[in-house]
Amino acid sequence: MIKMRRVLSIFRKEIYHIVRDPFTLIMALVMPVIMVLMFGSAVEFNVQNVATTYIDESKTPSSLTFLNLLGSSKYFQLTSTDNIFSGYKRMEREQAKALIIIPPTFEYDVLGNNTGHIQILLDGTDNTAIGAIGGYIGFVQAKACSEICKITEHSTVKLVPKFLFNPELNSQWFIVPGLAAVVMAILSILLTALTISREWERGSMELLLSTPVRPLEIVVGKIMPYAILGLVSVIVVYIVARTFYSVPFVGSHLVFFCGTILFLFAYLGLGLLVSTVVRNQQAAVQIAMAVGLMPSMLFSGFIFALEHMPFVFKCIATIFPARWYVTIARDQFLKGSSLQDLWLPFTALSISAYFIVQLCVAKFKRTLEQ
Amino acid sequence: MTKTHSETFGIEVRNLSRNFGDVVALNNCSLSFAPGIIHGIIGPEGAGKTTLLRTLLGLLDCKVGEIVYTKNDKEIKLKDIRDEIAYMPETQSLYGDLSVEEHMIFFKEMYEMSNDEYKQRSQELLSLTRLDKFKDRPAGRLSGGMYKKLGLICALLRSPTVILLDEPTNGVDTISRREFWTLLYSLVQKYKITVLMATAYMDEAERCTCVHLLENGKVLIEGEPRALISQFGVNGFNELFLKQANLTTESIHA
Repeated sequence: MIKMRRVLSIFRKEIYHIVRDPFTLIMALVMPVIMVLMFGSAVEFNVQNVATTYIDESKTPSSLTFLNLLGSSKYFQLTSTDNIFSGYKRMEREQAKALIIIPPTFEYDVLGNNTGHIQILLDGTDNTAIGAIGGYIGFVQAKACSEICKITEHSTVKLVPKFLFNPELNSQWFIVPGLAAVVMAILSILLTALTISREWERGSMELLLSTPVRPLEIVVGKIMPYAILGLVSVIVVYIVARTFYSVPFVGSHLVFFCGTILFLFAYLGLGLLVSTVVRNQQAAVQIAMAVGLMPSMLFSGFIFALEHMPFVFKCIATIFPARWYVTIARDQFLKGSSLQDLWLPFTALSISAYFIVQLCVAKFKRTLEQ
Repeated sequence: MTKTHSETFGIEVRNLSRNFGDVVALNNCSLSFAPGIIHGIIGPEGAGKTTLLRTLLGLLDCKVGEIVYTKNDKEIKLKDIRDEIAYMPETQSLYGDLSVEEHMIFFKEMYEMSNDEYKQRSQELLSLTRLDKFKDRPAGRLSGGMYKKLGLICALLRSPTVILLDEPTNGVDTISRREFWTLLYSLVQKYKITVLMATAYMDEAERCTCVHLLENGKVLIEGEPRALISQFGVNGFNELFLKQANLTTESIHA
């Protein structure tokens, strides 16, 4: 049975450490601002490959020619969908980055009126996919005109693009919400790994373990203040995003908060796990950076779009909680999907948080044995 | 109200061995610790003193051999005596940024003491150690002797039956060492606790009620210091240790 007075006492002690250690405070409060400003202003993306869904209401040789050209370009992965509502849902659930709607009169318009319109709805939250589409769409458009009408004029097949969720294609809107994950990943894993490894290094863990305190009490007492710090850093990111970059927030604060809490626990647990493996601060920092910073940058979709990664890397990415939290954060800032729509990232995040904390408690022995 | 221990609490170590890789820390050690006195676990660095204390406390697993804890002659489990054993590690294990009082409050919560018990006990200990004037000073800014006293206060706060001290006078000046011993005597006299003190200082052996001389993880001799000195016809513990260590070495070579 967990004794709250011990937990609170460890919590209070950790607060003293945090308040009296300028490094921790700077890490927690200043670093998020620096990172948001640095990444938000400096990072540019160029990627390829787009998951694309389409509605072919024409079902004519002309529409098939267009779709075949699109599919054979290998920059688009095509899947059909029944109606605009299901297509929109697919985009909302991150299953597609673009929705192509070919109207019933397409062939008649192209061959009879010399101008057929195709509506393209693009996921504005993913600037990298938009870039890829922009680069290749002109090529597909020209080939479509040539194959359907046997002429080279672009004007016969007209594309009508519309950007969903981020109509102005503001790249900061895309980057800044993902930064919440990166900032928290670094802060929570690093600070937690440091606080425990510091206790081991100083020898104070030996003293602590000689008292009747239980491992779970130490773990919870240690995690709590850093969970609060992590939440504060998210609030800082949120305020900077909203005020400095004018990023909208169309989702539910509660859904965002729940995702944040799950993510925090997963990464704080990872930090503790690191400290159970290594018992000196230097090694803890190195491992924390390797398992905290690198995956949250590379395998979260923050920089590199996950759908363009080889299958193996996609699988690896699913292990890291950052991959799921970036999806939730971006979604809640720009799309505003419901908890029901976000069942996959929430389930994955819950499972990883649960297993990491369990593993951490199991590994955290109340002895000095390694 | 001052808490003293009328119960007898014994520890017996039977054939305890412990290796760390190729290093033998304890080699078939058998020891017995009678209650209510100061036991000196004496030996040079690497003799196995810290390993022995950590194993007694359960901080290291007892893999080979056995440790029997008894309370009023009844055998009890390690988990049941954790509340009765206090420990003061050798390392500078206190929190440098926490004050003397903050340390005491932290350990009060760890030991789940009531406010009344804490108030009375902390005042007693602060007065005994003469740290009452330094309650607000961070541990990192205490002198070596005061730092050790604070470690002792934290360990003694909950009135333990047994206290394990790992080289408590290491790195402390002569005057502070003398003060520490005076404090230890008064604590034993006042609270009737059992003290197991590991030290590498041979001169401290004579201050103990009972000594256990260790070298290379083995128990060389045990007994009352003055009786051992007269039994072996030596001038002090330095000589006794060298004599015993050589004898052992000779017997190994033979």
